[in-house]
Amino acid sequence: MTKIVEHKEDEVFDIELEESILKKNEDFAKKNSELFKTHNIKTIDIMGSIGSGKTSLIEAMVKRLKEKYQIAVLNGDLTTTIDSDRVAKHGVDVIQINTGKECHLDANLISKALEDMELDQLDLIIIENVGNLICPGEFRLGAEQRLVVISVTEGPYMVLKHPFIFMEANVVVINKLDLAEAMNVEFEKLKADVMRINPKAEVIGTSCRNDKGIIYVIGALNLS
Amino acid sequence: MLAAYMHELSMASNIIDIAIHEAKKRNATSVIEVNLVVGKYSMLGLEQLCYCYDLLVKDTLLKNSKLNMEHEDGKIHCDKCKYKGPIPLKEELEYHIIFPTLVCPKCGNPAEIISGRDCYIKSLRVKK
Repeated sequence: MTKIVEHKEDEVFDIELEESILKKNEDFAKKNSELFKTHNIKTIDIMGSIGSGKTSLIEAMVKRLKEKYQIAVLNGDLTTTIDSDRVAKHGVDVIQINTGKECHLDANLISKALEDMELDQLDLIIIENVGNLICPGEFRLGAEQRLVVISVTEGPYMVLKHPFIFMEANVVVINKLDLAEAMNVEFEKLKADVMRINPKAEVIGTSCRNDKGIIYVIGALNLS
Repeated sequence: MLAAYMHELSMASNIIDIAIHEAKKRNATSVIEVNLVVGKYSMLGLEQLCYCYDLLVKDTLLKNSKLNMEHEDGKIHCDKCKYKGPIPLKEELEYHIIFPTLVCPKCGNPAEIISGRDCYIKSLRVKK
């Protein structure tokens, strides 16, 4: 609702608005979320830092889940189809969303991608967001669950440096545990940092390269 | 240059679109002030936002307008003990860092953010 609160004689007046500049995105997110519910599709927005293993995690999940679910993967990246080609090898539908210069996916881009998809034939959509621990947190896509991936090779302070995105997540994956010792980074310490920020989040350690921990991620997402 | 301010650029562009739309609806000829409320826990960089705003208002109804920004504090709500109040901050002395937490300060259960994530235009001052 908008209303004019003041209208001076000198013809300068105020318009009271209370209009959110994020509203456009929130509206699209709501629309997407309703669409997912109508078609009974489970959806996961996978966010995380560059090179943390988002694509590797998706590959490992898809390998285990493709018999049980009809899966589509939406891959967000600034450019190239490198990630979507990796996922497509596993025989699931993949749509590449190139953002150009934008640092995150937004709900409008997802809604455009959904227009070309046979939603009736799907039961799980995995969305890979653009690698970034800052902006994607702000733009909800309408996915039912949000997962954040970081890895031990990014050092011991990744969580405390980016508290906001961890507030948004319901599952947090700490990847590359096979390299933890070499990196002198402790999984338990990173996990404790997440819990201090967001006690609701489930924190899982993985080594996607070795297919370790994936079943626990699947369990945390209620997909098993 | 603009590519460095991607997120703020699209937000500045949204602000300007909304202001132009509202101003035209009331037959205003120019927008003098935009009063913005920015949540402390939104991801917007305010300096970058101002920079992008100044670039984009050229040749629009908002030319020479002022972008005023007001901060909104973050609040949480605990479903369990019904606590409602500011987002608690914790300090990690070892790294000189202060970070927000969703742990309820009263009962220790997980709480939800209820304000401080949004960014909205509170009002516009326009000229007829």
